[in-house]
This record gives sequence, C-alpha cells and structure tokens, in this order.
Amino acid sequence: MKRPVPVTDLIEELKRLPGIGQKTAERLSFFIMRGPAERAKKLAQAIRDVQEKIVLCSSCHGITDENPCLICKNPERDSTQICVVEEPHDVYVMENLGEYRGVYHVLMGVISPLDGIGPADLTIEALKERVQQDKVKEVILATNPDMEGESTAVYISKFLKSLNVKVTRIARGLPVGAEIEYADSVTLIKSLEGRTEM
Amino acid sequence: MGLHSAQGIVLRRFNLSEKDKLVTFLTDRYGKIKAVAKSARMAKSRFGAALEPLSVVQLIYFGRENQTLYRLNQAEIDHSFQSLREDPCKIYSAAYFIELTDSLIPEGHPEPQVFRLLKETLETLQNNKFNAILVRLFELRLMAVLGYTPQLTHCLACKKEPEPGWVGFSYNRRGILCQPCTSKLQPGTRFQQGILIYLKKMLTLDLKNSNRLKLPKGMEDEIETVTHRLILSHSGRELKSYPFIKALSGNL
Ligand SMILES: [Zn+2]
Ligand SMILES: [Zn+2]
Repeated sequence: MKRPVPVTDLIEELKRLPGIGQKTAERLSFFIMRGPAERAKKLAQAIRDVQEKIVLCSSCHGITDENPCLICKNPERDSTQICVVEEPHDVYVMENLGEYRGVYHVLMGVISPLDGIGPADLTIEALKERVQQDKVKEVILATNPDMEGESTAVYISKFLKSLNVKVTRIARGLPVGAEIEYADSVTLIKSLEGRTEM
Repeated sequence: MGLHSAQGIVLRRFNLSEKDKLVTFLTDRYGKIKAVAKSARMAKSRFGAALEPLSVVQLIYFGRENQTLYRLNQAEIDHSFQSLREDPCKIYSAAYFIELTDSLIPEGHPEPQVFRLLKETLETLQNNKFNAILVRLFELRLMAVLGYTPQLTHCLACKKEPEPGWVGFSYNRRGILCQPCTSKLQPGTRFQQGILIYLKKMLTLDLKNSNRLKLPKGMEDEIETVTHRLILSHSGRELKSYPFIKALSGNL
C-alpha cells in the first residue's frame, strides 16, 4: 500500500538534509505525525523564521537577524582586531569561549583548488576594504590547519602585505592532552615553531 | 582477506561522517586505493597530519577479497611536502598534479611509474623555484607513462618524416601530420617544427633538471596548449584546479 502524499512529501524533504537517509526520514516523519500539533507547528515556524529572518551581516558576513550583527554593532568590541574564520558557525565556536573581544570576518569557505574554489569566490576583497576603512591593527587567521585552510591563510597574508596591519595565525601543534610520542612529524614541527616563552 | 603495506601519496580526502574520513591514495605497489580512516576527524586522531593531500605516507591497511574499500590501520608520514602548502603557486600546481592523477587513474590497478612520476614531480616542485615548465612536463610525461606518448618524428598518416616548415598536430590521434596529409586529415593545430625539438626533450629530460630547460620566447604558450590539450583529449573535461594556476601566478 502506498503512503499518503503528505507523508511521502515530508519524508522526501527530510531526506535532503545532510546525514538523513530513508530510514531516519521515515522515523522522524512518524514522530512528527504522531506528536502534538503544537510541536509540529513550532517546528514549521522555526524553519520558516530561519529562512526569512536570518541574513548575512554586511560587515562580517556572519549570520544574524539584525544587520549589522550584534557583534559588529557592539561598541565594547575591539573593531581594530579581526578574527578571520571559514564558516559562519566558526564564529559561534569562538564566541562560546567567551575570551575573544575583537570582531570577526567570515570567508564563506576556503580556497580549495580541488573543488574549483578560488580567492574570488570568498570574501577576501571585502576583508581588505575593512582593514583599510576601520584602521585595523591585527588580523588573526583562524582557518583550519589543513591544506585548504593553510593555503588560504598564506594567500590572505600575502594579499594584505601592502597594508600596514599585523597578520597573525592561530597556533598549530599538539592538541591538549595528546602525547608527544604519538604525534606526527608535521604536528611536532608546528608545535616547535609556535612555541611561546614561559 | 589481508593486511597490506605500501607507500602512498594522499590524493584526496572526504569527511565520511562526523568522525571518519575516506582517503584516496596512490600507492607504489597496488595503484590507487580508497580507505576509511576511523575517527580521523577527531582532534586527537592517531593519524594526525598524515592524511592531508600530498603527504607521502607508509600505510598499513586491511581489506577483504573483492572489496574496493579498505580500512586504514596505520599511516606514518615519510614526507609531508609542508613547504608546498606555504607557497600559493606551488600548492596550486601540486593540487593540479594530484587532481590529474586521481582523475586519470582507475582504482586497484598497479601504476608504479605514475607513482614515481608524481613523487619526483612533487620533490622537484619543492626543491626549486616555481617554474611553469614543470606543469607542462608533468602533463606530457603522465600521458607517456599511461601509454599515450605522442608520435613526434613521423607523420601519423603516411609514416614519412615531414618536410621542413610547419607540421599539423592531431590531439585525438596524438601525433604530427605532414603538410600534404593535413589536406586529408584535419589537424587540431599546426606549428613550426622547432616545437617538436622541445617536446622531444621534455619526454626524456630528468625531472630534477627541469629548471634548466629554457623555452624560446613565445613558445611557452604554444607548448602549454599542446600538452594541456593532450591531457584534455584524454580526460574529456577540464580539471577544477587548472584555471587557478594561471590566475594565481599572475596575482602574487
Ligand atoms: Zn557582523
Ligand atoms: Zn603525411
């Protein structure tokens, strides 16, 4: 017997989400169907809101429901220090630390020749403008320490070279709790290069 | 069923799930293989930096008969090529070399010559100032080790040595056409025979000496067209990393 159309529709839509296959989609749709109507309505509304109300901040390209975003607008934040990250969600990872007082710049990806993504596909040009306009003193490159993140960081540091700004890279090396004995050579070399005085 | 050990160059890696990566290697003994690296995405993964593209690693992996996906047990870095990642021109060329290798080599077929060519090319790229001639050399030599060496001495059609002057060149048939034969068989391009001397040199030159090969002015572009279109005639599509090599070498 065929399922009613609204059910197959819901299953098909859920399957589009990352990491959701047929079985999980079926389970979720039956859960939604059998649950209280109020909960289903809230879920539908939340999905709609996220689509309609969330925009990219015109300054830092982070996701926000107010433009410019609360971080860019906040006079307590140091706008002369910009932390450059790959994706909007990286901003929240950093913010959860509660340590950083500067502002952000989201690249909206990373230079990846194997995927055909180059500097022009990212917000690097906009970063340069911000550095010039906002009298920025330091740009912290917090891209991932993998091949793409590393070459993006190198590219940006060369790109900003002509401007009078300090460019720093987050430390790469041993993760806290790891053992030197089991570390690979690249990680160990990076740890040595990034050593700090005690 | 069995445990394999080999030296491998990392060509690609994908995130398979929240914890695992799927890594493609070109190995010295077994050709191109894909293996799942369990928990490789975790910060404290035992694989560390070993699964980053370009790394040359000692591998131990496990697989069952008739299964194409292996399970990676161990990967120790022999050679990280870290300095390539810190030079934009070099990283783009290196990315092109591994993308080209990955797209032209089928899985599970031993390719020791391709392995040696790729490793030597990356070493040359690391040890010398960036020179676009290395990209041309890799393209031409890859075609040669895959069994598609272009015919550069005799006309493809009549088998005679061409008269002095220009010759035709066919990308699909991979070789030259003498002037009379170009009226019957449409060449992909035509060029002065001087180019043939350099193409022949490039087929035999030791890669380590690639920086010593000086092309006459104006010939670089023509040689680039020839070697790259040979690749395209075989791959059937442009590679994603290719446009960036030029864009970037002009930019920085
Ligand atoms: Zn903002
Ligand atoms: Zn002929």
